[in-house]
Amino acid sequence: MDLNMDLNAPHSMGTTIIGVTYNGGVVLGADSRTSTGMYVANRASDKITQLTDNVYVCRSGSAADSQVVSDYVRYFLHQHTIQLGQPATVKVAANLVRLLSYNNKNLQTGLIVGGWDKYEGGKIYGIPLGGTIIEQPFTIGGSGSSYLYGFFDQAWKEGMTKEEAEQLVVKAVSLAIARDGASGGVVRTVIINSEGVTRNFYPGDTLPLWHEELEPQNSLLDILNTPSPEPMTM
Amino acid sequence: MAKQHANWSPYDNNGGSCVAIAGADYCVIAADTRMSSGYNILTRDYSKTCKLADKAVLASSGFQADVKALQKQLAARHLIYQHQHNKQMSCPAMAQLLSNTLYYKRFFPYYAFNVLGGLDNEGKGCVFTYDAVGSYERVGYSSQGSGSTLIIPFLDNQLKSPSPLLLPAQDAVTPLSESEAVDLVKTCFASATERDIYTGDRLEIVILNADGIRREFMELRKD
Amino acid sequence: MSSPAFEIPPKGGFSFDLCRRNEMIAKKGVNPPSFRKTGTTIVGLIFQDGVILGADTRATEGPIVCDKNCEKIHYMAPNIYCCGAGTAADTEAVTDMVSSQLQLHRYHTGRESRVVTALTLLKRHLFNYQGYVQAALVLGGVDCTGPHLHTIYPHGSTDTLPFATMGSGSLAAMAVFESKYREGLTRDEGVQLVSEAICSGVFNDLGSGSNVDVCVITKGHKEYLRNHLLPNPRTYVSSKGFSFPKKTEVLLTKITPLKEKVVVIEGGDAMEE
Repeated sequence: MDLNMDLNAPHSMGTTIIGVTYNGGVVLGADSRTSTGMYVANRASDKITQLTDNVYVCRSGSAADSQVVSDYVRYFLHQHTIQLGQPATVKVAANLVRLLSYNNKNLQTGLIVGGWDKYEGGKIYGIPLGGTIIEQPFTIGGSGSSYLYGFFDQAWKEGMTKEEAEQLVVKAVSLAIARDGASGGVVRTVIINSEGVTRNFYPGDTLPLWHEELEPQNSLLDILNTPSPEPMTM
Repeated sequence: MAKQHANWSPYDNNGGSCVAIAGADYCVIAADTRMSSGYNILTRDYSKTCKLADKAVLASSGFQADVKALQKQLAARHLIYQHQHNKQMSCPAMAQLLSNTLYYKRFFPYYAFNVLGGLDNEGKGCVFTYDAVGSYERVGYSSQGSGSTLIIPFLDNQLKSPSPLLLPAQDAVTPLSESEAVDLVKTCFASATERDIYTGDRLEIVILNADGIRREFMELRKD
Repeated sequence: MSSPAFEIPPKGGFSFDLCRRNEMIAKKGVNPPSFRKTGTTIVGLIFQDGVILGADTRATEGPIVCDKNCEKIHYMAPNIYCCGAGTAADTEAVTDMVSSQLQLHRYHTGRESRVVTALTLLKRHLFNYQGYVQAALVLGGVDCTGPHLHTIYPHGSTDTLPFATMGSGSLAAMAVFESKYREGLTRDEGVQLVSEAICSGVFNDLGSGSNVDVCVITKGHKEYLRNHLLPNPRTYVSSKGFSFPKKTEVLLTKITPLKEKVVVIEGGDAMEE
């Protein structure tokens, strides 16, 4: 039995993270699985981290690297907010993330910055590995995202309502959880608009079941105690 | 740990320690019953000893699959021997057979560390100790396996044996009585279990003497 | 971690050249000396009025147990303790260093240390050393903002959890927590559950063993239960005992005075050029 239980294995987030804009704001979504090799080190982690009152970031890749980047960016933004006397824009936040990612190529982390500001409204920025920055109406990231490109091409529409956008995010993360072994747990969403921020939490056993998925079980005994199917009669 | 792909190895080490002590008219063969792999315990109740003939008992640690294959091979060869000679193999004969069997796989060895204990044709205790490819020696006492580095120095101190280079050859048997030898073996294992992570759970002691074969068990630490 | 395709010149910070040299010579077959590792079970949980930490007491060096009763629950501050797994020297050094930084910080501010302060100091140090400081920690304490429990990985990432396990026995211990943990445990239930989780590691993981240490931290109070359980006594002691009589043999005793062998010239000529 080889469980890859090497303590030296970096603690990483095989992840599904999503950012979607809608008319009036953004919805960010993420699963909650953090793993070391094959072991789920944290099944309820929070990968959507606050940077300022109106800007959040979804983290993927090395847990250590993404935490350090977001800690630094939060610190810079707080300083920036004080000097400016008004909230930092999403663009500034995203460019700080990019700056760190671009200048430190050894950082193994891909981030999605999303938020709302009075100048540009809801904005999503994807910052993948090397420090590229792309402003997009929606962005997906992490290992689970490869299962979602086609789905988003089909399901994303310009000018969705808040509810439509959040439902899309929850559906997408649950789809990725179903197919990607490195994603799992619960679905967390953050909705940011002119009104403020709303955090939502969707437990794993309330998510929709996709193709050939099994009902959630509390105990293996529940499966064993269910009556076995009738033997086939000729 | 047996691993897959590029760094795959055909061997695993399942740990465990074996001890045998020969006396004037008895032989004590003992081994713990823990079988492990990496940091996992596979079972707490696995016997490492194998009765090969009426007066020959083998204790082996190392890779369990190889140990099992080796025991099966020896059992088959012993059965043929019985058909051909209509008697049980003596312990010194079994010792030579074991050596030959191990050397036969010189370039893909059995990953097994053996101690063979028994009584010779005169009824004296005998112990044979081996390496994995069949080098062997008749000694008064021996230990093999994961805890052997802890046990051997203690036995050396308590049972100093005559040099094998002395002429005329001296008897290698220890001066202890049977009960003293059993007591010594128990102490060896209780101590080895304190410091070797692969030794523990339970001690199985096989005692061979003129009356026949007898087994004793003693509990060891289970952590 | 996959290294970048090309070398980037360093821009200051730590140099890991020696680490890479060690990796290279290890690959060529020259192995470094083995370190004392605490192949370990360490756990922590939050109960109704605080935090409980637990640890086994075995330290190993390869297959050999080198300490049967070591302490793995380290002091950080009067209200904060930290369990360490990994290389013993690293866990010891990093916790000692941070606890002294916290003490200085308390002298400076005149306030009780916070758990997040300890967490940030630890993660910053571990991140700087890029996983080469092999310390996996469970940090727990109670401060003015309530009870807190964190895990810290060698690479510097942290988690905040209601119950946590670390070390080679973490799977065995987590199995107990996942099946029996609930919110609002009482002190006694908590200590019982922590002991059970540690025992699960002690008995099922070869890297963990010996005794169970527990530390209960509540608001303004802590209880360090050293050797709370002793589930592994020695199983056999010979009734007659043993003697180890053979000393170094004395072959002869004879004193040779040095003066008889050496001619001592008193008041010789002064040295000249």
